[in-house]
Amino acid sequence: QVSELVQFLLVKDQKKIPIKRADMLKNVIREYKDASSEILNKAGRTLQEVFGMQLVEIDAKRHTYILINNLPRPEGEYLCKDKEKEKMGLLLVILSFIFMKGNSVKDSALWEFLRLLRVYPGKPHRVFGDVRKLVTEEFGRQKYLEITPIPLTDPPEFKYQWGPRAEKETSKKDVLNFVAKMQGKDPRFWASQHGEAEANL
Amino acid sequence: ENRESVLNSKSNRLTEALEEANKLFGGVSRAREAALDAQFLVIATNIGKEKASELHSEMSAFDSAAFAEDLLTFMGINRTEVEETDDSEDVPGGFLPTDAWQTVGEEATKYFRRAPTFHYMMGSFKSEPPVPKQRIERQKKASRGKAEQAMPAQLKRMEESQQEATEKEVERILRILQTHFENDPNTPISFFDFVIDPNSFARTVENMFHASFLIRDGLAKIKVDEDELPIIEPTKPSGRGEEESSAGARNQVVLSLDQKEWK
Repeated sequence: QVSELVQFLLVKDQKKIPIKRADMLKNVIREYKDASSEILNKAGRTLQEVFGMQLVEIDAKRHTYILINNLPRPEGEYLCKDKEKEKMGLLLVILSFIFMKGNSVKDSALWEFLRLLRVYPGKPHRVFGDVRKLVTEEFGRQKYLEITPIPLTDPPEFKYQWGPRAEKETSKKDVLNFVAKMQGKDPRFWASQHGEAEANL
Repeated sequence: ENRESVLNSKSNRLTEALEEANKLFGGVSRAREAALDAQFLVIATNIGKEKASELHSEMSAFDSAAFAEDLLTFMGINRTEVEETDDSEDVPGGFLPTDAWQTVGEEATKYFRRAPTFHYMMGSFKSEPPVPKQRIERQKKASRGKAEQAMPAQLKRMEESQQEATEKEVERILRILQTHFENDPNTPISFFDFVIDPNSFARTVENMFHASFLIRDGLAKIKVDEDELPIIEPTKPSGRGEEESSAGARNQVVLSLDQKEWK
């Protein structure tokens, strides 16, 4: 059971959409439901010891899980497809913007910022295609971004924050370092963000 | 309505509106009006929150426009050339290279602890030739699991491309050998000169591997010259093919070469 669950998790993780415990029970654990938490724990240990990945519950109420990489950051080239890399680039830029602006931004503010980078919600992008879909649907479903509607706005507006996957896969300190590197400044230049990043560790 | 003007930090519109609402509420006697008043309060508080956050009271001022410029620089923007776009009114000129987002993406991967996406048999070496066909089949059977439902299309592609890669390499080596012979038909090449790559032991082994295919298929043959060193030459094309293959002794030779010898 354990190895079946491990395989199941690895394949399910391909799309980076959080995995529901219900799906695990239905597809793998099935009749062993009573031992489910033990099987899950063992699977988690296998993932850590064999693959260096951590199984993390990101929603205690809905019992959804993600896999993150628990190995020390590789020094050399990170092996993944170009398409994936480009998306990560866009994501990091968005996460940086959100953090530096106080952890929550309105959609209009975000798109106005992305315009400066030649990324437009209404225009198909040479690299990303339908960017609006990528940001709102894909990044949202993967839990990199948390997108919530602002009440009583007409037309409806949304606020963007970091999602639980972003919280686990990166950190405010890392993101601040990225911003600092891009701008050629010391991270302490932004005193309050720096303070928050340090406290967050 | 007029959300933007109310948001303007210099305006007192919000306060004025709240005061007016307060006054009006005094005259309210019906539930419907009270509900409207409540709705107004919700909107007012949201606006209030926004105003507060716009004061950046919690965060040190962050210049997003400068950040965007720095990102464009990092992506390798060429500011001397002006791009012909239809929306270039407020976007500063400059030509973004096609790998702009690749560059950012490459940097970005360092900041995430993303679990690599799991694929069966996704080789991580890009240019090295793959393992021989038999091993591919065996590995494929071993790794086939329940979850393989999603994988078959991808697996097929992998297998084909690996086969092709080997064949291509073998062909390439044959062509090199033949070209050399066209230029100088009477001097067979020393086998070692042919296969050894002075910079890479791994490459040397691969070359030997590919050369062995040529020999197996009868496209080249190895002889021993006067100095007892092996030499390799292409076999003459098919006219005498049958004769050659029946005459050609099927010998098995084990050539051992370790790193020390290679050096």
